Amino acid sequence: MVSSKDMLPAEDRIATADPWEAQLRKGSLEMAILASLWKRRLYGLEILRALESGSGLGMLEGTLYLILNRIKSAGLVDSEWVDAGSGHPRKYYRLTATGEERLRAMAESWSDFSAKINELIAPVLRRQELANVER
Amino acid sequence: MLNDKVTEAVDRYLAVIRKHSAGVSPVERDEFIEEIRGHILDRIIATNGLTQDRVADLLRSIGDPKKLAAEFKTQVMLHHAAKSISPWLMLRSTLRWGMTGFAGAVALLITLVGYGCTLISFLCILLKPFLPDHIGLWLGPDRTITLGYWNRHLVGSEAYGISVRPPFDFVLGTLGRTNGPVHDLAGQNIYTIGLLCGVAFLIATTLFARWMITRFASRKRRHSLTQETSQAQPRYAE
Repeated sequence: MVSSKDMLPAEDRIATADPWEAQLRKGSLEMAILASLWKRRLYGLEILRALESGSGLGMLEGTLYLILNRIKSAGLVDSEWVDAGSGHPRKYYRLTATGEERLRAMAESWSDFSAKINELIAPVLRRQELANVER
Repeated sequence: MLNDKVTEAVDRYLAVIRKHSAGVSPVERDEFIEEIRGHILDRIIATNGLTQDRVADLLRSIGDPKKLAAEFKTQVMLHHAAKSISPWLMLRSTLRWGMTGFAGAVALLITLVGYGCTLISFLCILLKPFLPDHIGLWLGPDRTITLGYWNRHLVGSEAYGISVRPPFDFVLGTLGRTNGPVHDLAGQNIYTIGLLCGVAFLIATTLFARWMITRFASRKRRHSLTQETSQAQPRYAE
């Protein structure tokens, strides 16, 4: 289902974002970045595109490189410069074994947590659907 | 092919990052800047009909170069500090971290007090030969013990240094004027006491600062970085 908020341009969508929603997005950003690298290697712009299309997570683009720098320092990702024929070298990232392990743990926690929350909010959503049908 | 004005705008943007990340090792700084340059070039390649306005938009979507550089510098510094035993690096790192939030401010305060005590302990050793009657370990009225300088007044007596009045009072400085006898507890042993106290404070403060950085700084950085998502401007799909 597409909400009216989803139809707004990205900047307006963020500007009208609830602080709670913003916090929720912040909390899941690192996991989303790691997940975008699952079983493949990507460079910065590809990671941004994967985040935007796969999760709707946006950020100031320079921030991505700070996060990548930090998770690389933590040993979760590895990087290598590749001259891919684009006229300039690109820095590709891939998950390390530690990164894969960490991502698995994060994904399991997220899955458990979201399943419980979904169960909790199911009556709220059902009631809302009924109200929509009545209208 | 980039026109001159676009190249100039990109170079200016990267020069600001370079300037504001001074202090970071050239290798790390250059790699970061090259990656940002590559990102800009990728965005330019993906954009048709690049005008100056669109370049300005593009650079805005990457973020304020000063903030980006400052955040990068803090991140690199904290990363190195977490693996270091250099008091100078601990102090500089906690100074930067201290400006960004509560945990950093607490770490900074404790680090400043710890290194302050270290400095006073070593100063006592250095100054004792020049001020033999003023430097010592002084026991004043109300069980006040001070490692440092005493003005030698029995009325309106003041002692500056590390002052302790058990069980609760502790200051770097003086606990205030007192009247009454003051005794030197250490004599020539002040050299040994100063050295032991200085080394103990130095080691304890450095280890504590490193522990704080390892335990809390990366979490703090994560918060501060992701805060920017609330102002996100994804524009690469132009």
